[in-house]
Amino acid sequence: MKCPRCGQKIHRAAPSCPHCGFTLDEADQQFGSDDVRLSRLADTAGILRRRERDRVEQTMEAFNRRFPQLFIAVYTGALGEIGQLRQFGFWLLNRGAFEDVPVEKPNAAGILMLIDAESKAAGITFGYLLDPFLEEGDTFNCLSRAHSHWLEGRYADGIIKAIQQLETVLRKRCHQARRDQERFERRVCPQPKVDDMVQRIRSGHRPPATAPGNPPHEEYPQPEEVEP
Amino acid sequence: MKPHLITALTLTASLAMAASSDPSLPSWDETEHKQLEDSGWTPGTSLPTVAPTPDPAAEPEPAPLDADQPTPEEVAESAAPVAKIAEKFLPAYFDARPESYLIDPQHILDHQSARDRLAFLESHAGDSTIDLFIYIFGKDQEIPGEVREEELVERFFSSGRPAMIIYYFFGQPQQSVLYLSPSLTDAVSAAEQRRALTSSVMLALEKTDPTDQLEAFTVQLAIRIYWMERMLQAAAPTGNNLQPAAPNQPPKTTHQKLTLAQRVDGMTLLLHPYLRSTAWGGGIAALALAFGWWWRRRTTFRLPEFEVEPPLGGHHEPGMGAVISFASPTLPPASQREQVPDYLRRPGSR
Repeated sequence: MKCPRCGQKIHRAAPSCPHCGFTLDEADQQFGSDDVRLSRLADTAGILRRRERDRVEQTMEAFNRRFPQLFIAVYTGALGEIGQLRQFGFWLLNRGAFEDVPVEKPNAAGILMLIDAESKAAGITFGYLLDPFLEEGDTFNCLSRAHSHWLEGRYADGIIKAIQQLETVLRKRCHQARRDQERFERRVCPQPKVDDMVQRIRSGHRPPATAPGNPPHEEYPQPEEVEP
Repeated sequence: MKPHLITALTLTASLAMAASSDPSLPSWDETEHKQLEDSGWTPGTSLPTVAPTPDPAAEPEPAPLDADQPTPEEVAESAAPVAKIAEKFLPAYFDARPESYLIDPQHILDHQSARDRLAFLESHAGDSTIDLFIYIFGKDQEIPGEVREEELVERFFSSGRPAMIIYYFFGQPQQSVLYLSPSLTDAVSAAEQRRALTSSVMLALEKTDPTDQLEAFTVQLAIRIYWMERMLQAAAPTGNNLQPAAPNQPPKTTHQKLTLAQRVDGMTLLLHPYLRSTAWGGGIAALALAFGWWWRRRTTFRLPEFEVEPPLGGHHEPGMGAVISFASPTLPPASQREQVPDYLRRPGSR
């Protein structure tokens, strides 16, 4: 992952950025340490008309229906610099309390789209539940789909396009995870030790009964497509 | 050019001289004729002479035949049909307004043909505001003299829907007679009626089989009625003269109001095997697509959940997605793909 402030790569489990020392506490000092109550679609910049808001909300609702674990939120505001956008997204997803999102959906399952109407920039941040499945390139493609619409000031169209692209990416990842779950697991879980690897080879690559720090493979949550 | 012209002129002049110098035909008197015939001369059978013009006065009158001349009544009767309709069928023909569009109490048509014609006439009645009644008579039959057809038509068809009544002689379509109900007689001119009947008869006579003749006749008549309707509607936009006179008649549905031409087109579409299979295939494909779309909309997706430690002291958010600027159209997304901090960029790389 990348540091929200300096943009350099850091380890997932790093308590602070080894390059610039950024932590959530620093973001709290900048934006506030209290939780912020807001709705899933927070148009504080006032760039969406009523009808456009309805369209965006319908698209968000469709996304939430299709991915029952996840939710998507959109925030528009005036943040100043582009660099602030990443930090603000990091802070908001940690401190935000989305009123119209069911409580069983934590912010870790959230995807936040930020649009800065003043600096004409947009970004996407997402919770750690999605960390194995979304990459920076995926989010970049989503924003690229919206770029031409936002250039012309059609914010709602851009948001809808970005959400639809996100939906396509996640659907694809879901299919891939069904076929090869370990591929995604390796992205976020520590590599097994050499002893474990030897043991796995000797056991004919059968899943171990218990791996240190990991549940047995039989108990791994399986990706599934739930039919209605 | 010149030698040719001289040759042609010379040839023409020689021919003219030859024609003027032809010898005249020989003349023969009776004595010479007799002598030649007595000598047994037969070749040529005739002599090259001018034949004498026969004298009509000299020819003898033919002897009158020894038979009675027919009377004018007998001549008239010989041209008229000879068969009569049996008494028991007359009430079915002429006692009341027919309940069916095809009146054939003698069963001149076979069962299948009668059913086909009746189905057509009923179909026509569903399409048109003018009903078509066909009375079937035998080829050589005649309508009894005491039956006054016009009076019957006026009596039976004054009420109810407008109607065209045809007395059709099976196998002799040219003897057919056409009547219109009183509500139509003023609206449709006699010339138009005659044209309708004539064209129907002409088409019927193109067939040799009497059943085919009747079919062609009724189809053409139905088409002519359609054009009559169009003409009447154009003359009277409100169409009051074509409205059913009897209030107890059930109103026609939209489906029934389809014109004959539209129905013919529809039947063609339904009956043509290629079109029918194409329509079926298209329908099934559309259904499959609709079902796929519906299924895809309702399908939900779940991702596996792994244990991930939140970084940087945060609780929820480890994933930093991309940031894109849309401040300038000269800065396309492709140039922003490399998301590195500004201080790590080389000068002039953007």
